[in-house]
Amino acid sequence: MKVRVDQGRCQGHTLCAMVAPQVFELDDVDGHASPVDENVPAGREAEVREAARSCPERAISVGKDAP
Amino acid sequence: MSDRKKNRYHFDRHTPQYRHDFEEVTREMQERCPIAWSDTHGGHWVAAGNREVFELAARSAGVISNDHDVTGERRGYQGISIPAPTRAGKGGFLEMDPPEQRHYRQALNPYLSPAAVARWIPVVDDVVRACIDEKIEEGRIDFVEDLANIVPAVLTMAMMGIPLRNWDIYNEPAHAVIYTPPNSPDLARVGRLHEEMRRDLAGQLAEIKANPRPGLVNALLNLEIDGERPSDEDLLGSLHLLIGGGFDTTTALTAHAIEWLGENPAERERLSRERDTLLDSATEEFVRYYTPVVGGGRTFSADCEVVGTRFEEGERLWLSWAMANRDPSVFPDPDEIDLAREGNRHTGFGLGVHRCIGSNVARTVFKRMIVQVLDRMPDYVCEPEGTVHYETVGVINGMRFLPATFTPGPRLGPGLDETLESLQRTCDEQRLADPVTRRGTKP
Repeated sequence: MKVRVDQGRCQGHTLCAMVAPQVFELDDVDGHASPVDENVPAGREAEVREAARSCPERAISVGKDAP
Repeated sequence: MSDRKKNRYHFDRHTPQYRHDFEEVTREMQERCPIAWSDTHGGHWVAAGNREVFELAARSAGVISNDHDVTGERRGYQGISIPAPTRAGKGGFLEMDPPEQRHYRQALNPYLSPAAVARWIPVVDDVVRACIDEKIEEGRIDFVEDLANIVPAVLTMAMMGIPLRNWDIYNEPAHAVIYTPPNSPDLARVGRLHEEMRRDLAGQLAEIKANPRPGLVNALLNLEIDGERPSDEDLLGSLHLLIGGGFDTTTALTAHAIEWLGENPAERERLSRERDTLLDSATEEFVRYYTPVVGGGRTFSADCEVVGTRFEEGERLWLSWAMANRDPSVFPDPDEIDLAREGNRHTGFGLGVHRCIGSNVARTVFKRMIVQVLDRMPDYVCEPEGTVHYETVGVINGMRFLPATFTPGPRLGPGLDETLESLQRTCDEQRLADPVTRRGTKP
């Protein structure tokens, strides 16, 4: 499973990092979120789907083929 | 009585009783009715459970509105205050919905990002140093009036691009409009102070429009939404929002934390000793436990069903960040302060598209104040008889006075006025109020 954060949409609301703290990190410069690794670690898929569903900006895409 | 509203609770957060019984009310609502209907203030829903608050605040953007339709052009929604405020006027972008709201956030984010805030640390440290120097030889301080009111106010001025010395025009009204009850004999005086602040802010807006200088005011002046500039009224609403968000909230957090650390000297000593590992988690824990902004009002913009309750368009909702932060299903021992609490998914900055835009500022200013207090007055003792909390916690869980004594020490530099004069030059010369983006500073 792959995960991606669209930096043009991300507003740094931090919800993804709340829901899946092992998967998303917040940038020290602009506060935007990005995946620690675009390949989601095994066992964290549900969390990542949850994070994607929680993003108010719909900035997180999840898929087999993305990015 | 409609079946939808079978979970009922008499909820009035504007009474002193609610402040007094907060933990009991929270427990009762979370056990019996994490979403309840209350007939108070014209009738409204209350979300008290963490999961309910999360689902409604973060995941229901399509059916929840912050709109404050002051001119009656749309559906007459009343914004984020319950009951609706008597004073007309929209509360800036906090009382707007996306996509309009998103334009404001995008314009302001680069001024409030972690990197932008980090650049202000030397200024913050010098203001804190000067505030403490004013009191250090005396061995007496009021942590609210002499420190926690001043530092957030000065930094907010600086970030906005308003002269630092003007903090005093904004300071008292920014706090007093929150804590002064509607029946207070002091209301007329507070109204005059507030008017003075409004006049100064409108003057700053005009001045910066004519002679641009960096800062949040300038960011809003350059804002275009679909090719159009927002009205001055909308800009002023947003500037008042930045002041409201920048002042009373951080004051409330800092004062409460200092009070608690004074009551728990062993924890204070531990925090000081282990600050490198403990200060971050302690900061989040104080935000969770004290939740300075206790909640926010919303309006359902469509009929919907969320977490098992059906809501109708037009109904009002109170999202309680404060109660969600005490939910035992998310926070073990929720009514205890654990400075090392892990996985602290608190709602203290709100949730969703309206989440606090100044959270990085708040955290930084708080930490810089705490660290210098720990270093320079490590043995302070607060005086409970002179300590004054806000009588009600309907809007902000704040404090008015926190007097304390401590072993006097030496001054380290000039007093506040002189410090602000030299810091003003620093701000101007280094253009500290410029935005910072991923690609560096934007002129």
